[in-house]
Amino acid sequence: MKILIVEDEPDLARDIAAYLSGESYLCEFAANYEEALEKIDVYSYDCILLDIMLPGGTGINILEELRKQNKQDGVIIISAKNAIEDKIRGLQIGADDYLAKPFHLSELAARIHSLIRRKQFDTTNIITQHELQIDLLAKLVMVEGQEVPLTRKEFDLLLYFVSNKNRVISKAAIAEKLSGDLADMFDNYDFVYAHVKNLKRKLQEAGYGNYLKTIYGSGYKWEI
Amino acid sequence: MGNMSKLLNRSLKNTIAYSAIVLACSIPVYYFILSELWRYEMAEHNITLSPEAGREDSFLIIGTVTMLTVLFFGLLIAGLILVNRRSSGKLWRPFYSSLEKIRNFDLTQQTPAFEPTNIAEFEELNEQLHKLIDRATVAYKQQKEFTENASHELQTPLAILTNKVDILLQSDGLTEKQFHIAEEMYKALIRSSRINKNLLLLAKIENGQFDKSESISIRTLLGQSMEVLQEYFAEKKISVDLNIHTDVEIQANCDLTEVLLNNLLMNAIRHTPAGGVIRVILSVLKLEVKNSGEHALNPDLLFKRFSKMSADNAGSGLGLSIVQEICKLHGWEVKYRFENKEHIFTVLF
Repeated sequence: MKILIVEDEPDLARDIAAYLSGESYLCEFAANYEEALEKIDVYSYDCILLDIMLPGGTGINILEELRKQNKQDGVIIISAKNAIEDKIRGLQIGADDYLAKPFHLSELAARIHSLIRRKQFDTTNIITQHELQIDLLAKLVMVEGQEVPLTRKEFDLLLYFVSNKNRVISKAAIAEKLSGDLADMFDNYDFVYAHVKNLKRKLQEAGYGNYLKTIYGSGYKWEI
Repeated sequence: MGNMSKLLNRSLKNTIAYSAIVLACSIPVYYFILSELWRYEMAEHNITLSPEAGREDSFLIIGTVTMLTVLFFGLLIAGLILVNRRSSGKLWRPFYSSLEKIRNFDLTQQTPAFEPTNIAEFEELNEQLHKLIDRATVAYKQQKEFTENASHELQTPLAILTNKVDILLQSDGLTEKQFHIAEEMYKALIRSSRINKNLLLLAKIENGQFDKSESISIRTLLGQSMEVLQEYFAEKKISVDLNIHTDVEIQANCDLTEVLLNNLLMNAIRHTPAGGVIRVILSVLKLEVKNSGEHALNPDLLFKRFSKMSADNAGSGLGLSIVQEICKLHGWEVKYRFENKEHIFTVLF
């Protein structure tokens, strides 16, 4: 699967590519407005990570150009601007998602994963891992045909792990994921532990193997 | 206008006192000249008066002169007051108009246009005022822009650092000690990002970058916030008493109002001991968030940026400043008081 990273900060672009490298993704780069326009003109991508502020122009224009050409590439805006108007504008003209910098690479990976899923399957959208099946549309989790009742938070967590398989995710990143902006005022990660513990227990009770490893008591890894 | 009459009265009083003295002094002079003339005329026509008649004449002259003087004095004063009132009002008008403009001015607005005047002193005053205000406005703007730009510029290095730690965590052979160091770096980074985000939000509110004309219902927003925060209430075993007497439907910025409610509620959660009670009361144009506590907090420091009131340092130190700025933007008022072992935050819409 092809991903275009439109980002003028070389460090950021490289790290994103490095983090995604384990997956079957092929990353290409564009460091400025012209380069990005050239690339989207010639190729098509499964997912484009688009920075808004670029040397030579704004990412919003690239997005407009893309939609004008009727291209169906998935677009995730990654912006340091974090302005609500930018987000709304971007989504209005056809971005699929918006992620404000700074973000965790695990969060970005989850968004890419979910975007590519959405684009690939329109009707049924099922992720299978060994005996585990996740129905993204119905938000159902099955182990060997048997439904595992999960809360919404546990479902989100499971998806987060699955889309970051074989990666170490720290508790702090999960806390951010689970509480979003509300994490602002809390420094207590106990609730992360509680949610992960429940998820693990439910999956094991349903007969799913122990793929979720704890790393030094403060990180997690979904090993497949 | 009270000041105005005082100022005018003062100048008028001096004029009147001076005229009174001059006129009073003129009475003996008039008397002397008139009696001299009188005596001269009498001598010329060889008339001699008896001492009684002479004294009578003297009294007559003094009486007439005094009466005339008083009459003219009265006329003079009446005229002076009239003229003074009329011309001074006109004369001082540019001054008071400038004063009024400065009184209504605050730094977030544009420099007021002072009324042009043909009086050199007032023109000079206006010019200097204009310069002073311009300088203050520029400094204020620069400071605001600086906060916003600095926060923006910090986002990218923070993003790079966060991602580096993400990558670091993936390294094979990371020892437990190293892992925990990376985790601590992570937490510090998350905190810096939050402070940065909140500073940016504050700068944006101050720079007036939000639309305040959305129709919102506080009851609905409150319901949403309570639902999202449910988990945190449960985690700390805090019981919530939500009391809605009436809805508040109002024109405001929806996102910011959400931030305001969340900040107030999260603040309450953070500072309520486990097993405590939080009470939320919504009545006519008024929201109260009450939580149990031991000691009153200093209301002067409470809303100040980065003034930490407790040892717990998880917060960005900006939550309540943001609440206050959001209120200021909408023309609402937020107040704190401590009553019956309860911290009470009140928002008057």
